[in-house]
Amino acid sequence: MTSWIGVAILGLLAPAVAHADHHDMAMGGGHDTAFGAGVSLVAASYSTLDYIGNYQGVVPTLSWGSAAYSVGASFAMYRLETNGLERFGPGDFAVHGLLRLYHHEAVTTGVVLMVSAPTGDSVGGLGMGHPMAMPAAWGAWTYGHATMTASVGFDRAIVGSMSTHHDHGPWPLVEPMNMSELSWSGTCDIALGDGIHGGARMSGGVPVGEPGHDRVVGAARLAWGAGRVETAAELQVGLVGDPFTLRGLVETALHF
Amino acid sequence: MRTMWLLLILAGCPSSPTPTGTTCADPDPITGTTTLTWDNFGHDFMFKYCTNCHSSSLPHSMRNGAPIYHDFDTLIGVVEVLDHVDAQTGWGPNAQNNFMPGGGTNGRCPSVAGGALDEACPEPTGEERTQLAQWLACEKLRPH
Repeated sequence: MTSWIGVAILGLLAPAVAHADHHDMAMGGGHDTAFGAGVSLVAASYSTLDYIGNYQGVVPTLSWGSAAYSVGASFAMYRLETNGLERFGPGDFAVHGLLRLYHHEAVTTGVVLMVSAPTGDSVGGLGMGHPMAMPAAWGAWTYGHATMTASVGFDRAIVGSMSTHHDHGPWPLVEPMNMSELSWSGTCDIALGDGIHGGARMSGGVPVGEPGHDRVVGAARLAWGAGRVETAAELQVGLVGDPFTLRGLVETALHF
Repeated sequence: MRTMWLLLILAGCPSSPTPTGTTCADPDPITGTTTLTWDNFGHDFMFKYCTNCHSSSLPHSMRNGAPIYHDFDTLIGVVEVLDHVDAQTGWGPNAQNNFMPGGGTNGRCPSVAGGALDEACPEPTGEERTQLAQWLACEKLRPH
């Protein structure tokens, strides 16, 4: 869903990349623009209050920009199993724009705006059912081989309210978020040499002004780049709020 | 481009489940005599249209997507999500809800409890949906 926008940023702002909570950014200093085309594969199991199952997804991404600014889009396709029912379908279509506001030596800050359209089946658990706007601010600090990144944002349905809806737990199942929430993330990325990066990330969301569910995700990540290709693998664990039990992600992107 | 965005937004905004706003009337305005109860209405309705997926006897893997703890083979199971049932299936002054049965399964239902989606869902009549909302409105006021 929306958070997959972050994957599109992979090609231009490697090494650290956002997805599940979409704010992680890593900074580069270059001004050259480039296109990026990538694909991510995701597989997860989940167990919420009302639903037990698993899903797999393919997420093509496109992006263009530089380390100073970028735009991108993503559109996931899923197979979702929910209490014995199998569904196939798209998630929510998402676009993003990112702008670096400040960059001096080891410190970089910026903003990002993500917007999604409700193309996923919201009844079936594949989409939010509402357009979402997700502005966020981020900052990064590099010390030696390590880069620490933090972000905070506000995610909000552009129309509609969840207050009268029956609560089925975290929703949508493939990429849960709240209709109105404060989102956050913190990432540590370490350059291990030879184009290889390792890192860890915590991210989450807290409902604000609407009923919802707290969410915290922990993740470990390994990324490597060779030439025009960046590839990464990530293992994520749902720590609070049952966003999923365990989720694996493999993504690769080509820059040209 | 603007048109595409509008279509994308509208695609995700179907009519949503809406409380029917039905109030309990006694005697029942439909039958004119007997207030609807689990025994004279609810049980048969649920077992005719719902319990092949919404049953406490079914493990999660055999529910064809029905949420866990949404079990309508007992009165108390219905009462626990009474407003939800009204907003999904009931007809009343504020809404005519036709989401269930068949919502989320493209109108397909199992012909036996826990079975495959092998038939078109049997559809309650408008009168039955109205009676459902009436029964739920009355059941909401009763001690359980």
